[in-house]
Amino acid sequence: MIFAQIFDMVNVGIVILDKELKVYKWNRWMEIHSKISAQEIIGVTIFDFFPEMKNPRFLRNVKSVLTFGNFAFFSQKLHKYIFPFKASNSQGTHFKYMRQSCTMGPLRDENNRIQYVYIMVQDVTDVAAYEQKLIEMSIKDGLTGVYNRRFLESRLAEEFERHKRYLRPLSIIMQDIDFFKRINDTYSHPCGDYILKTFASLIVSTIRKVDIFARYGGEEFCCVLPETGLESATKLAEHLRMKVEDEIFRFNETEIKITVSQGVAELKKETVSAEELLRRADDALYEAKETGRNKVVGQCK
Amino acid sequence: MKIESCPAFSQEEKEILQEIMNIAFGNATADLAEVIDIYVELNTPSIQLLGIGDLPDYLINRMNLHTENSIVAQNFWGDFKGSGILVLPNRSGRSLIAILDDAELNDFEVKPIAGQEKEVLMEVGNILIGACVGKVCELLNTFVTYTPPQVIHHNSDEYSAFVMSFDPAQTAIIMETVFRFQKIDINGLLLIITNQEAIEWLQKALHNFMEPYE
Repeated sequence: MIFAQIFDMVNVGIVILDKELKVYKWNRWMEIHSKISAQEIIGVTIFDFFPEMKNPRFLRNVKSVLTFGNFAFFSQKLHKYIFPFKASNSQGTHFKYMRQSCTMGPLRDENNRIQYVYIMVQDVTDVAAYEQKLIEMSIKDGLTGVYNRRFLESRLAEEFERHKRYLRPLSIIMQDIDFFKRINDTYSHPCGDYILKTFASLIVSTIRKVDIFARYGGEEFCCVLPETGLESATKLAEHLRMKVEDEIFRFNETEIKITVSQGVAELKKETVSAEELLRRADDALYEAKETGRNKVVGQCK
Repeated sequence: MKIESCPAFSQEEKEILQEIMNIAFGNATADLAEVIDIYVELNTPSIQLLGIGDLPDYLINRMNLHTENSIVAQNFWGDFKGSGILVLPNRSGRSLIAILDDAELNDFEVKPIAGQEKEVLMEVGNILIGACVGKVCELLNTFVTYTPPQVIHHNSDEYSAFVMSFDPAQTAIIMETVFRFQKIDINGLLLIITNQEAIEWLQKALHNFMEPYE
């Protein structure tokens, strides 16, 4: 009697399934979040209400629990959820479904024989939302919203290793907004910030999804282009240069034009490290700056 | 300290435990084929009794089975109490993903490969440890509960912390078997380590097991 009350009061979903995977118990928490009453679901196979649960992983774990009496753990990080319940999204995130941490285990009769499987469901949407925010903060630049330098360097190191294994082409473009200090001095720092943000959006809207674009520092940006040789990378850089040159940046009724200098480098067999590739692109960028700005210099040595 | 030299555990008890493990692991093999649809060969298990102080060196030695390992560890509680450890060659998670899973898992765009490897290692570790411990428990007429499995990276801080986490003042029984996933030709090591508290209970349980035959 007391346990039956607790069963319905706890802030955790509890489901008990029999060996044929028919619902034997369905607590109040499950009723509230699934909008399916215990009366409706008890005695019915769980897959009749949740067909997406009929996947090899779930079936394997149920079999394992029924056969070996072990426990199965479905962490939020790896599985996201078992039951597709609507998420509350109280932390301003937009998860389609409630993130759940679930445990499955055996229930035995007085002779120690496994008769049922229980599933406990915990709503961890808030934790997942905080985690997502933290991850975002650690890999993205706060001002422009594009990736930060640390993330770029770690991804570039990964791409470098991939290149070593499969010898696929890889190029990078280093970009620097010309006379940026002058923009800050003439139009104020908020205007400078606006230019950085708008410039970053302009580039992101032009490159592919697989490219990795990051703020490298100050007004310097870097774009890693997997599966791209020097010629294509240089063409893209030239396209970006023209796009930036043609764009009119409007800040508080003021129209501002900017240009960008770019250095392009391709990863070669003899390149020993990702840092060397960055250095070569940076050298090319320096050359572009030294030889008149608003231009692209490709370097393949 | 080898089991032969431990007065607390007689030769007869060792032989009974060996017999139980042979039966248990044999049963586990058959059921594993049914549950995960892969034939897992479990070699004849061996048993050792060690002072837990010797355990870190033992584990380091045994975990050097491959140049780089993936380790899955899980504790179990009950009358029978201890840890299950699975040692697999590094990157075997990838081969397991390929044979174990549904299309959803192979969507590398949705889930990064490292996450999938961890997921599949945890699942296989959980099932393998659960199968072997569960079958031993079944024969000894008891059952246990488990902590969630943990994937430990070789040569990491968590690896050192895990190895050093055993109380050196205690004694442990180590049940060890080499296993092989037939479809993908991966060898690994499975260790079941019981702690001192469980030894006394185990001795009684072993005698109870033998009673009908005596």
